[in-house]
Amino acid sequence: MTKATAQDVLRINCLTPTVGVITAIREESSDVKTFRISSLDGLKPFTPNPGQLGMLSLPAIGEAMFSITAQEENSIDMAIKATGHLTDALHQLEEGQQVGVRGPYGNGFPLEYCQGKDMLFIAGGIGLAPVRSMIDYCVKYRENFGTLTVIYGARSKEDLCFKEDLFEHWPQVKNMNVYVTIDRPQEDWKGHVGFVPDYIKELAPTPKVAIICGPPVMIKFSLPALSALGFSDQDIITTLEMRMKCGVGKCGRCNIGSCYVCLDGPVFTQEQLKKLPAEY
Amino acid sequence: MQILEKSKLDDFLQMLAKHQPVIVPTDVDGLSQYAPYQAQMTLLLDGKPTVSPKGIFLPQTEAIYRFKAQGKNLLIAEMENQQTPQVLFFVRHCDVQGIVCLDKVFMSPEYTDQQYAKKREITTIFALRCNGSKESCFCTSMGVDPEKANPAAADVEVYDLGDQFAFEALNERGEKVLSQAAELLSNQDNVILPPVPERKLQLKTEGLPEKLSTTFDAPIWNDFMFKCLGCGTCTYLCPTCHCFDINNKLRGEDGLKLRTWDSCMFDEYTLMAGGHQPRTGKKERIRNRFLHKLQYFYEKHQMFLCVGCGRCLTKCPMNIDISKFVQQVMKEESR
Amino acid sequence: MNQEAIQTKMRQRAKELLNSGAVTMVLGWEAGTFWYQSTPILIRQAEDADKLVWNDFCQNNLSKYLLDFRFTNEKIALFLKGCDSRAFNRLLQDKQIEREKTYIIGIPCEGMKDHRLAQSKNEGDDLPLAKICQSCRYPNPVIYDELLTEEVTPRQKIVDFSDVEAIEQMSADERYEFWQKEHTKCIRCYACRNVCPACNCRKCIFDQATSGWNSKDVNASENQFYAMTRAIHIAGRCIECGQCEYVCPANIPIMLMNKKLIKDIDLLFGDYDAGLSIEGQPPLGHFEKDDPEEFM
Repeated sequence: MTKATAQDVLRINCLTPTVGVITAIREESSDVKTFRISSLDGLKPFTPNPGQLGMLSLPAIGEAMFSITAQEENSIDMAIKATGHLTDALHQLEEGQQVGVRGPYGNGFPLEYCQGKDMLFIAGGIGLAPVRSMIDYCVKYRENFGTLTVIYGARSKEDLCFKEDLFEHWPQVKNMNVYVTIDRPQEDWKGHVGFVPDYIKELAPTPKVAIICGPPVMIKFSLPALSALGFSDQDIITTLEMRMKCGVGKCGRCNIGSCYVCLDGPVFTQEQLKKLPAEY
Repeated sequence: MQILEKSKLDDFLQMLAKHQPVIVPTDVDGLSQYAPYQAQMTLLLDGKPTVSPKGIFLPQTEAIYRFKAQGKNLLIAEMENQQTPQVLFFVRHCDVQGIVCLDKVFMSPEYTDQQYAKKREITTIFALRCNGSKESCFCTSMGVDPEKANPAAADVEVYDLGDQFAFEALNERGEKVLSQAAELLSNQDNVILPPVPERKLQLKTEGLPEKLSTTFDAPIWNDFMFKCLGCGTCTYLCPTCHCFDINNKLRGEDGLKLRTWDSCMFDEYTLMAGGHQPRTGKKERIRNRFLHKLQYFYEKHQMFLCVGCGRCLTKCPMNIDISKFVQQVMKEESR
Repeated sequence: MNQEAIQTKMRQRAKELLNSGAVTMVLGWEAGTFWYQSTPILIRQAEDADKLVWNDFCQNNLSKYLLDFRFTNEKIALFLKGCDSRAFNRLLQDKQIEREKTYIIGIPCEGMKDHRLAQSKNEGDDLPLAKICQSCRYPNPVIYDELLTEEVTPRQKIVDFSDVEAIEQMSADERYEFWQKEHTKCIRCYACRNVCPACNCRKCIFDQATSGWNSKDVNASENQFYAMTRAIHIAGRCIECGQCEYVCPANIPIMLMNKKLIKDIDLLFGDYDAGLSIEGQPPLGHFEKDDPEEFM
């Protein structure tokens, strides 16, 4: 058997992954780990735009679509929560493990539209994973954006992901404010306590472009809060999750109306979502 | 056109089979389907097989790649694509249109499925012009022409003249296959073609996708969905349903990654890790299936993902009938 | 009573039950698309009761639909033939449904016609009874609140195992080849499982692809694994309604395997017909000290 390289992906079946290797694993929270993946020759497996997706597989177990949380010159990061058959197995892995990887898939965040604008990022729990790629991008190209605001919540302080970014890196960035909340009080927690939608109301940000991702219940109560603050449907951007198998708009299951989340998503504006059946 | 005496059909197919495998509609152990031709086989020439020809291009089970997972190491190797040319015989115009639908999905410009594309490339398709309409046929309502096969998929058109077949090559590939049995064919101009029988089932479908785009929450979906069994009969027999799953077959460290047909009627189809289920019941699943066929696909490709072959009408164990549904939707419009 | 008279009475009783508020819905059959099809219907309004039909093609067993209404408190009236009533008892015995939430109108059944053969015939042509109905021993409902007509004479008194015996007489190789051919045709649509009143697991192992028990790979071996697992799982609980064979799009003789298991169970544990009453336990649902145990 020969190993397929990144170039081969263009030639061979679009469903066949290339082999990558996990070069680092970082524990983010009680049930989230970030996996850093490079190609076998030590390069970036592919170059995603912020908000795009990648398929990760342990072929003997399964394959699933994950958001790409971050990228370095020679690697991509995927922050993955243990919720099922494959993700539980991924959490058992050690550095040096070879995995299948293919991508990038999906539309990603509307970078051009966001240029020069004030940005608000709202996330809950693992929902920060897709949003983080965009925050990284805004931080990297800081001069291209206005103010940056992050509102992030988790069940407890143990469930907060990307703590270094939240408490060390991002607060240092010019004109960037980070607000973190947890659902219930904890003994050594001095920060804000309460749910994200309430925190939004409390902070009452002025209308700007909002990128929001998190558990359905958080989204459900945050959207009216944003609308009440004057955010337009066009400026409320979210990413959706559906079960996916192929990632290339063929296997059928991730459709919402005539959109395939893997092709036409995962990023949708509230304006777009209102035109689609609420079947997600 | 080139004429073949029907009595010579077996000789003709045998001659072709010397050059490449020939696939024909026939009965295999009590289930009509497309199967490799063997001498003196009884062919199904009236009506279409229960199992559509989509499996020739999208097999129910197909290996995508091989892998070896050994400790921390992983090897992935693509499968060899089928290379030998083949001929697919007597495909009804509805099923030809079904192949055109599959082409839209699997040979889309962004991502071409190489395995599918290769099978299409090596297969010469002989369409059979309609020679008899069943009570469940409604192809004309779905944009299929029973007089003329869609040339996007058909390579040769076959006309049933009673005691003879007339062949008309639609492209070079078709001509080439016909030339393999030239000695059995005679050229004839001005062939008089028998009339194509009228469809008994005719539906009004003009403006259907637009009409459906407003029905998502309408009560029409509540009426007959309860009786659905949630089985895969409709989707598996449908010539256009193409949803698939990807899973493994393991033998120790070695494995095959398989693509297998899947059905949007199954609970597991959209069930996410963690238990979230966006389409919870029979109503949501049938609605998605019908809308995919009659609205969503149309919005993307300006054609229906239903070709009116009628298989689901007669084979659904509970008689869930998409043609009745269309009639009901269009009736409500005129009200 | 002829079919038309039964149908008239069906409609009348459905109307009365809905109008009086005794039930909130009625499960019956309505005319299908073609003359050889009848199809289940759920009626909530008395004026819709005229859609009900009783003809030669009311094959569908309505008992299983009760599983869909497990978590409602509505009272449901349903029409049951002999075989359907055995299915009802089976579900009752497994505590899947509640007797109090149902009102059963029994229909002594003269047998349904062969719907597959009908597709190649014209309406009005003579048709034989469906194979399963030809050997029916319990055409009269075994549980009901009322009967629509007087009882009919069973078409057979003892089970006709001649088809099973023919298979038993084959050599092992012949038998393997026979089933191999049949199961190669299987498209794994799971219609036989989904329609079966004995299949009432909340989560079937064939719906758990990640469990590793089975593969979605469709080939003779996996198909056989499915077919045999299904057959063994319903052994002792099959009520011989033949719905599995009726719905199979691939024409696989599924009842042949079910009947073999019925025959074996009769032989090992004494004659047993599932679903005749809710008393006792199915032979494989409990054990006795003198049960035959060849393997221990």
